[in-house]
Amino acid sequence: MEYFLHILILIGIYTILSISLNLLAGYTGILSVAHAAFYGVGAYVAALMALKLHTPFPLNLFLAIGAATLFGAVVGIPSLRIKDDYFVIATFAFQIITFSLLNNLVSFTGGPMGLPGIPQPVIFGFTVSGHIPFLILTFIFCVLTFWIANRIVASPFGRVLKAIREDEVFAQACGKDVSAYKVTIFMIGAGLAAIAGVLYATYISFIDPTSFTVMESIFIISIVIIGGAGNLWGSVVGAAVLVTLPELLRFVGLPNSVAANIRQILYGGLLVAFMLWRPRGFIGEYAFGRGNKAEGSRQKAA
Amino acid sequence: MFNQLLLNSLIVASVYTLVAVSFAIIYSTTRFFHFAHAAVLTAGAYFAYLFHILFGLPLVISIGLAVIFSALLGSLMELCIYRPLRKTNASAMVLLLVSLGIYIVLQNMISMIFGDDTKSIRTGDVVEGINILGARITPIQIFIICSGILLVILVTVFLKRTKTGKAMRAVANDPELADISGINSSRVFLRTFALGSALAGVAGILVALDVDMTPTMGMNALLMGVVAVIIGGAGSIPGVALGALLLALAQNFGVWKISSQWQDTIAFVILLIFLLFRPEGFLGRKVKKATI
Repeated sequence: MEYFLHILILIGIYTILSISLNLLAGYTGILSVAHAAFYGVGAYVAALMALKLHTPFPLNLFLAIGAATLFGAVVGIPSLRIKDDYFVIATFAFQIITFSLLNNLVSFTGGPMGLPGIPQPVIFGFTVSGHIPFLILTFIFCVLTFWIANRIVASPFGRVLKAIREDEVFAQACGKDVSAYKVTIFMIGAGLAAIAGVLYATYISFIDPTSFTVMESIFIISIVIIGGAGNLWGSVVGAAVLVTLPELLRFVGLPNSVAANIRQILYGGLLVAFMLWRPRGFIGEYAFGRGNKAEGSRQKAA
Repeated sequence: MFNQLLLNSLIVASVYTLVAVSFAIIYSTTRFFHFAHAAVLTAGAYFAYLFHILFGLPLVISIGLAVIFSALLGSLMELCIYRPLRKTNASAMVLLLVSLGIYIVLQNMISMIFGDDTKSIRTGDVVEGINILGARITPIQIFIICSGILLVILVTVFLKRTKTGKAMRAVANDPELADISGINSSRVFLRTFALGSALAGVAGILVALDVDMTPTMGMNALLMGVVAVIIGGAGSIPGVALGALLLALAQNFGVWKISSQWQDTIAFVILLIFLLFRPEGFLGRKVKKATI
């Protein structure tokens, strides 16, 4: 039973992560591989505040979101000036630099030893401990994230994002400040990812840099793509499937030594398979990177 | 100390250049970031290990076989995955994502089969280095530098002089014009993948000869290659070599002042500076900024 609850909590955390990335990749069409960095910044800020300054959980959460949003601006403003694959490489670079900062600033972040003993969240005098209360807390934040994302997507602001995804030049021609929109949504995505980081840190009560690597970023991207880019429910489905699937293999009796490898092979393989045969993912409405006719014809004309 | 660092930079730079050139050939022809190249590089080293240590074949034959198998692996990716994807009108971003997926699958397969620990194809005794101007260099390292430089020169000649090489450059330059001129671009893509992957296999073996192999060696090497390509400018082999040299010098001399765990950070900070301020690199021409 506890194991089952544990899986549900993880699904919740990954749902938050994939929704926040979906806003970027699925709705705006910007593929960032730095998402685990924001997730990590959220986790580390909250953990360090709680451990070093003993500040209350709501303040830590607030500061973690703020720090990740600011970091989103630091990464986004320069990177979003460049396009496509060079943008991916720029976010790759930021991701790796973040990881090596977390890993090498030993006196501050604990380095590879990580930060143990992160206290459980206390909200209005109530300590969230044990699986069921934590599941409720995660669920609340999931719903909150979904609601925020849904409001963004349904708003005029969200329509501009989709316009940018479909045809950047056209959105620009309609008088929209494309780069301002991109940077804004990039910062929002980073801030939302921090929520997942705070939940993860307080739930596991231990963090180390290996949870926030490029591979983790790619895992989150896989969730978005497999669940369905441009559909918020897709991110929920994707997180549920990709978190549960490797766990099912455990019941088949695979030894733990290969379980981690099998898990990665599974999501790497699924990513390739979906791109080949079902680019829309399970329930997506946007086939990532396909059939952008306007762009294609313009390139031909040029 | 200074001479030793200079020599180390030269060794590292020749490996980086080879990785960068093997990647740049594929990148400039097919125009997408083929991250699975890292897996090909790792596979090259592990094929050599398989043939030389596990099957007991002589080193030269093992290396030859490993290079052929690397070329086959890269060509298979193009045939079975990238080509069908291109037919569905997939963008360069989709191909990039898929190549990440392929990389993850292959890297984990290698670490499942061979284990995560360090493997070596160096069987001989440890030889003391030769003294050159107060710096030490082992025969293997001399071999690495020489074969790196030789291969890069051969590739340059190949691209300039042979028919296939010219076709590759034509497709890289203007795919549509190449098509109109009767160049079969699918065939050129396949040959590009075979050549680039063979070079990646060699690079993997050279890395393994110098510092042994682990399943993640490919990604580390490839990322450095990509940095060299971007600071040098894709499409210019001398530029790429210059980029690799600059990167190697910065990393090795950086370690002189700050500790070695920051080598990656140095490389990626340099990369970011170039991406933001000079995305076309030293000698490149192609500017890839938002075209608005």
